[in-house]
Amino acid sequence: MKIGLPRALLYYRYGQLWQRFLTSLGAEVIISPKTDEAILNKGLACVSSEVCLPIKIVAGHLIELKDKVDAIFFPRLEYLRDGLYACPKMIGVVDVARMLLADQVQILSPTIRGNFVRAHIRAGLEICPNPFRVFKAWHQSSRSLVRRTTNQELETKAGKVAGVVGVISHFYNLGDEFISAAIIKTFIENGYQILTKEDLPAPVLLDRQGFAQNIRWVYERELFSAFEFLLGRVDGFCMVVSMGCGPDSLVAEFIRERAQAESVPFLLLVIDEHTGTAGLVTRVEAFIELLNRRKRSSASRCRAA
Amino acid sequence: MRVGIPYFGYDTIALKGFIRELGAELVMPPPTSRRTIEIGVKLAPELVCMPFKITLGNFIEALERGADTLLMAAGARKCRFGYYHYLQERALRAVKSDFRLVPVTQYSAYEFIFKLMPALFAVPPARVLRAVYHLLIKSALTRDLRRLLNRSRAVNFSQAEGLKESALRLIDEARTAAEMRRARLELNRLFARNGKEPAVRVGLVGEIYFTIDQAANQEIEKELARLGAEVLFERCLYNHLRHLLHSDFGYLRSRRLARTYLRACPGGEAIRTVGEAIWFVRQGVDGIVHLFPFTCMPENIAIEALQRLTESSGVPVLSLSFDEHTSNTGLVTRIEAFVELLRRRKNARRLSRD
Repeated sequence: MKIGLPRALLYYRYGQLWQRFLTSLGAEVIISPKTDEAILNKGLACVSSEVCLPIKIVAGHLIELKDKVDAIFFPRLEYLRDGLYACPKMIGVVDVARMLLADQVQILSPTIRGNFVRAHIRAGLEICPNPFRVFKAWHQSSRSLVRRTTNQELETKAGKVAGVVGVISHFYNLGDEFISAAIIKTFIENGYQILTKEDLPAPVLLDRQGFAQNIRWVYERELFSAFEFLLGRVDGFCMVVSMGCGPDSLVAEFIRERAQAESVPFLLLVIDEHTGTAGLVTRVEAFIELLNRRKRSSASRCRAA
Repeated sequence: MRVGIPYFGYDTIALKGFIRELGAELVMPPPTSRRTIEIGVKLAPELVCMPFKITLGNFIEALERGADTLLMAAGARKCRFGYYHYLQERALRAVKSDFRLVPVTQYSAYEFIFKLMPALFAVPPARVLRAVYHLLIKSALTRDLRRLLNRSRAVNFSQAEGLKESALRLIDEARTAAEMRRARLELNRLFARNGKEPAVRVGLVGEIYFTIDQAANQEIEKELARLGAEVLFERCLYNHLRHLLHSDFGYLRSRRLARTYLRACPGGEAIRTVGEAIWFVRQGVDGIVHLFPFTCMPENIAIEALQRLTESSGVPVLSLSFDEHTSNTGLVTRIEAFVELLRRRKNARRLSRD
């Protein structure tokens, strides 16, 4: 059985796990190619024009996969433990996928409602009826869950470079080179180390202190907690938001206000399918110039004192 | 205490009655206008959805009129709506400091009746209970008014439009249950059917604020009625209150019907939008009008389902997204074209039947 994994959205967090899990169940896993113009255009043609870029991209990947596989593995994350929800579009896109493709290809979409493991075991049983094999496959593959770097590693990593920038964005934006490669590359080329929420230890992201506990979207809470954690540890923040992302439109505002109050440089980049790389790079370069200038002036102030 | 609330279509009257019954002085902002929206847009984050901006504008104008306590509904979990009040409070503080914004959490009737309202208005829970009872009756009245109005406007526009103001006053002035009963009889008498049938019937679905607030949706019901289309709707304050009291059977029906397309609730009103659209199609409407604010997350998922519904049932759907740049002229042109399409389809079907 050939099972397809769309290289978008949750793939960027759980992809490795899914790949191992499905392979050890005896399926042949086909991952859609990296996002490019053609895939995006396929997606644009079949979903509403108002949804955010990641959703358009995932639609493209689904279309890309449909003729190559027997089934598409596309789990629906509704909420994780603590009743932390995924965003409405992420919940709904699975239904959109079914509406688009249900008559052409089978869609395996276990629904994660609080219990991550149970949903996967159920989906596993659909592929392979032998429960022992499913449990064994899960046991082996779940060890490959993304291991995050620890605090100490962060400190040393940060120590080596001239400046550090916190890039605050969802993993499916940062993981997708089509969306964010230009931004990240510009920072690195200019000698800046970047830290994203994926580099932070898990307990930090699930922090319930302060305002973060009011945020009921799981990945938004991670963004906000990551921002709070990095505040004071980095020289500036760059937030990448896709146009039409509902939760981000609010959380970006919370973060912007906080950064302003602490007078930390903050750059908000809103991207969509029409955003040109050149424009983004120019804005990032201007931001880097600002950071450099702040550094120089604070250094000269230190010397004067 | 001088309480200000945002506008909520015809149902504002019911909410006004509720606040008054709890013994607070009510300071209504001026009706939502171009200025309201401009103020809201200026103070709100750029990418946030439209209801945020309009209600923010309402609040600013209420503060200008001397309100000191603002009530804002809160508490949706997956939708941005649940987070409005954090940002609105910050935006308002930038303008004025001596006020408080009270988020009214919706999802616990017990907390609302026995804790939140008694603490806020310093009244015993029994009085809140009575006020909620009257709120229910009154919101049912405003719903009936809207139904009657939509129907009679579609057949005799100017006459029904002339009766609107007096009918609204009638509901506004009813204070006791008995008076409300009399008001209902009076309404039925005012808008008595005269045997004429509207040219086409249209089902209105979509996001709750935009389907209910006539200023936000630029009086789309009125414009449709002017063209001879009767607007059927399910979304109104009454049904929403019933939903909060766990007795809205329409929602169960919507959920059952929408299952063909949506298996999990993406939050907001997507399930209702789809379920009601299917229900309207089964009722034999000629078309569906779908309203939502620009970038509304749940409704964008609903669009996909509505498109499939069109493909399978053949009933046309007009999806309209609203933001601060939506011009009335453009809107009216689209509605006109849509109603014209519906009329032709209906006539063609009648001809082929004969």
